[in-house]
Amino acid sequence: MSDYLLDVRDIGISFGGLKACQGLTLQVPARGLHGLIGPNGAGKTTAFNLITGVYQTQTGSVALDGLPVHQLAPHQIAKAGLSRTFQNIRLFGDLSVLDNVRLACHVRGSHTLIGTLFRTRSFVAQERAIRERALHMLDVFDLAGAADEQARSLPYGHQRRLEICRALATEPKALLLDEPAAGMNPSEKVALASTIRQIRDRFGLAILLIEHDMGLVMEICEHITVLDHGTPIATGTPRDVQRNPKVQEAYLGEPGAVL
Amino acid sequence: MSALTDLIPARRPPLLTSLTHGVALPVVYAIAIATLAQFAIGPALGEYWASVGVQVGIAVMLAVSLNIVNGFTGQFSIGHAGFFAIGAYVGAGISYYSALLIWGDPATLPHGAPLMWEGSPSGLFGAGDWIMVAGALLGGCVSAVFGYIVGLPSLRLRGDYLAIVTLGFGEIVRVLLQQTRPQVFEAQELRELAGADLFIPPLGGATGFSGIPKYATLWWVWFFVFFVVLFAYRVKLSSTGRALLSIREDEIASRAMGVNITKYKVRAFVLAAGLAGIAGALYAHSGNVLQPRDAGFQRSFECIIYVVLGGLGSISGAALAAVALSIMTEALRGPEPILENWPILVGLAIAGTIAAGVLRAIKNRGWRITFVLAMTPLSFLALGLASKLFNEVTGVNLAAYRMVVYALLLIVVMLARPNGLFGLTEIWEYFGPIRGPKPGSGNDDSRLAAEPPAPAPPAETQPSTPPTPPAPPTLPPGDAAP
Amino acid sequence: MPEQFDDSIAPRGPDAREVFCYTGRPPDLGATVRSSRHPSDHPVADFLLILITAIAVGSLYALIALGYTMVYGILKFINFAHSDIFVLGAWTSLTASVCVITWMKLDTQNPPLWLAPVVLLSAMVVCGGVAYIVERLAYKPLRKSPRLNVLITAIGVSLLLQNVGQLPGFTVASKDGRTLATVPFGPSPARMPSLLPDVALTTIPFVHTEPGDVPPTVNLIDVFIFVSAMVLMFALQYLVYHTKLGAAMRAVSFNTETAALMGVPVDRVMSFTFVTGAVLAAAAGFLYSLKYPGLNQPAHEIWVLLGLKAFVAAVVGGIGNVRGAVLGGFLIALIEFMGMFLFSKYLDPLLGTNMGTNLRDVYVFSVLIIVLLVKPSGLLGSPVREKV
Repeated sequence: MSDYLLDVRDIGISFGGLKACQGLTLQVPARGLHGLIGPNGAGKTTAFNLITGVYQTQTGSVALDGLPVHQLAPHQIAKAGLSRTFQNIRLFGDLSVLDNVRLACHVRGSHTLIGTLFRTRSFVAQERAIRERALHMLDVFDLAGAADEQARSLPYGHQRRLEICRALATEPKALLLDEPAAGMNPSEKVALASTIRQIRDRFGLAILLIEHDMGLVMEICEHITVLDHGTPIATGTPRDVQRNPKVQEAYLGEPGAVL
Repeated sequence: MSALTDLIPARRPPLLTSLTHGVALPVVYAIAIATLAQFAIGPALGEYWASVGVQVGIAVMLAVSLNIVNGFTGQFSIGHAGFFAIGAYVGAGISYYSALLIWGDPATLPHGAPLMWEGSPSGLFGAGDWIMVAGALLGGCVSAVFGYIVGLPSLRLRGDYLAIVTLGFGEIVRVLLQQTRPQVFEAQELRELAGADLFIPPLGGATGFSGIPKYATLWWVWFFVFFVVLFAYRVKLSSTGRALLSIREDEIASRAMGVNITKYKVRAFVLAAGLAGIAGALYAHSGNVLQPRDAGFQRSFECIIYVVLGGLGSISGAALAAVALSIMTEALRGPEPILENWPILVGLAIAGTIAAGVLRAIKNRGWRITFVLAMTPLSFLALGLASKLFNEVTGVNLAAYRMVVYALLLIVVMLARPNGLFGLTEIWEYFGPIRGPKPGSGNDDSRLAAEPPAPAPPAETQPSTPPTPPAPPTLPPGDAAP
Repeated sequence: MPEQFDDSIAPRGPDAREVFCYTGRPPDLGATVRSSRHPSDHPVADFLLILITAIAVGSLYALIALGYTMVYGILKFINFAHSDIFVLGAWTSLTASVCVITWMKLDTQNPPLWLAPVVLLSAMVVCGGVAYIVERLAYKPLRKSPRLNVLITAIGVSLLLQNVGQLPGFTVASKDGRTLATVPFGPSPARMPSLLPDVALTTIPFVHTEPGDVPPTVNLIDVFIFVSAMVLMFALQYLVYHTKLGAAMRAVSFNTETAALMGVPVDRVMSFTFVTGAVLAAAAGFLYSLKYPGLNQPAHEIWVLLGLKAFVAAVVGGIGNVRGAVLGGFLIALIEFMGMFLFSKYLDPLLGTNMGTNLRDVYVFSVLIIVLLVKPSGLLGSPVREKV
């Protein structure tokens, strides 16, 4: 029993002969910001997929707030309180911005066919509550003005923000962000760093972050795990990791270079 | 921000309001529309076109119900006719055999109808009518059960496989219907049937089930059409509908947001199957001989073409396509029936043009669509004339080749406008502010176009969007974290 | 209809046991029954006969399934219109044989042996051509589209091919009134002239027969079908695994973009795959018309079910896997015929019904459901993961 909100122990998976991920252990406390970095192809998104149930881990366990979730289906894990964003933005492009967030509120409600077809009182109440909550979330992320637009039509940076907003609308305890800064210019990244910190402070989540931008990672993460070829090669505070020769070798091919 | 469940109790409407809006008002509207169809439009159309109106209503029900699975949820089911046929045979069996047992002869309508009028064979609200309604509802339930049985295992599979399984289901229903026992025509014989004999029910086998009393008037058909459309609409504008649409858009993201994909796919499938069953039962009572081939692939493909042409996901689009294609079948026979009704055509054209002119002043796309809709009857006239000409020149009767026309239509639509005519948009949405990409944003309108945009290359190699940095979004001070 | 053919679609040949015939009609509608043995009297003979028929029909399924599987492996979609190419092959064989016989004034009862390969070749050419045109016009523009679109288009093409066959046939006459050629289309069933002698090769040994019975035999046609199919399958195997073109096909099926980067002409490989599949289906159609010369009109349910069963065979064997398609073809045929045999023999007497043979499709689809539930990737297939 640990006091970590997200407790990942020794997870791993092989595809045929390829060990995509092996022996990954990391723990993130509430209000913790943990970074997962590594060269391309190191298995970071695979690790995310293992934690969120897209792949079934062949070893080890994942626990969320004490509850083991590694045997659950992805939607059950989301319901337990683990939410994520995607490397290639996976918004519901044809739906409106508001609908994207309203969909995320779905998991916290109860839905019956009778209620839907005959508009019962609990159905109407829930719909109103969902709408209010979604509008509020959009407001928090400064997207309320675009509420009725197609999600696909938003500029790229807004789409990323919408994805994070949507992930938060599921009322998660832990949030997994997969390369949230991809495609952003430096000023947008500054804004993003500030947003992530505010999310952590305000919602009290544990946040696990995959990122390639070293500046961003070193700045906001309290702990970092480095993956290479599917296995963790270093873990610790940003300074420790920066100085670790194995990490330098993995990224640059030889020790002694400065990150 | 407080949790969702905390917000709900405070927002419950009063009981009377919800009953009124939820149940009472729809019934009132349905009765109004049905009465209009039966007593105002029906007599104006004449007997032949009134029966076409019944078939059109059934086609609309099929199109709208299939739209729930193929359009909203993006699943490719091509066995819809199987559920249609199940509902049809259940409804027919109940009606015919109870008429046989109670009155001794199903053909002697009206079986005690309180509302009769000149020229109506079956009146309204007679005992037979209520038996038909009961049969329709029961047929819908049986179809829904089969929808569950078929849907639960197959909806876990990839889209292509679902298509094959549903197509196979339709064919299996057809084959099994062909194995049923011959129809029983004497009441005495029916009473003598032992229980074990009913294991293989007497539904006519390959020769079909005939003599079903003709209770499906315009009134009942369009009464049910209203509810089918209403239910589809209510599903679309609900959290269930959003869940279905999210499954269509991106299953993986949908799962990650907590939607139980399989449960919702099955739900959509069951609902669609049930509604198709009701449509089938009504079809059975509209004067046709039921045959096992009503469960076959040809009818399933007709449903598919309605949905694909009208717009995968648009209720009004699918309904409109069903109406248009049903009438087109008639139009291909020749222009005479349409010419007989020329006053209606002219009136429609004039009204449409006026409406177009009025709406043009509002400057949105609605006027264009209204104009097109108003001109459609004229195009049917042209089609009829062309068909007659073709017939005289080549001796080929185009009406028999409507499947060829449907097939070409399907291919052309897929190549030119894969979203169908309306895509996800309902027709009435064109009369409001248009949702969609702003011009120049560079984003494609067509949902079914290329894959989601590839991840943008790193910022160093790509000039990014606005030069001025956006203000960092400060989350306003609010409630403490939950 | 040309006068030299009669309209009855009675099956011919000593294995004319209606229970296993594709005409789909119940046994007593004007067809002749050559054998008077009751199925339950001589189980071994019955079983052997079933086996032979299953092998012949399985060859047909395998040939058609190969087309499905190749297109799926390379273009990643189910070509619904493929079974209609098979139907087209059967009808083209009919047309070609009728035309040649009329043109060269050959004897319809005993046509020369060279007619068969000529007809087969023409069927292959026509079907390959149609497949090429369809691919260029209808599928190629949709290569980048989501698969749902292509599926729907394939359904449209399938419908089109089925219903174009409904158009009435026509006769081409020369100036002096001589009939040059007849194209027998249209909604009436037609009968294929017998291109191969209807000869029994050998009697199955060790089988007890009543006096006056027709002894169970192995027929030339069944052997011919099996051998031809085997030859074609080996040719395909050689093509795919031992030629450069086959390597290109396999490369494209693994990863289209990488293959393109490696210099493989992806477009041409895809078109070639289509045409190859169509050629195999045409051969299957020709062989079918030899065995079951009563051809139903193209939009008849029988063809749809045939195509579906071949598709089931491809799926059961593992879609995308060439060897799986062959295995699946024979397996499905075996299950279908064994199902009919066992149901008729054991369950029908129990239930007092006569539907064992009519439920042939139900057996096949039950197998499909089971396989999809237990191992969706098929017997020889490998599971595919989607990249998240």
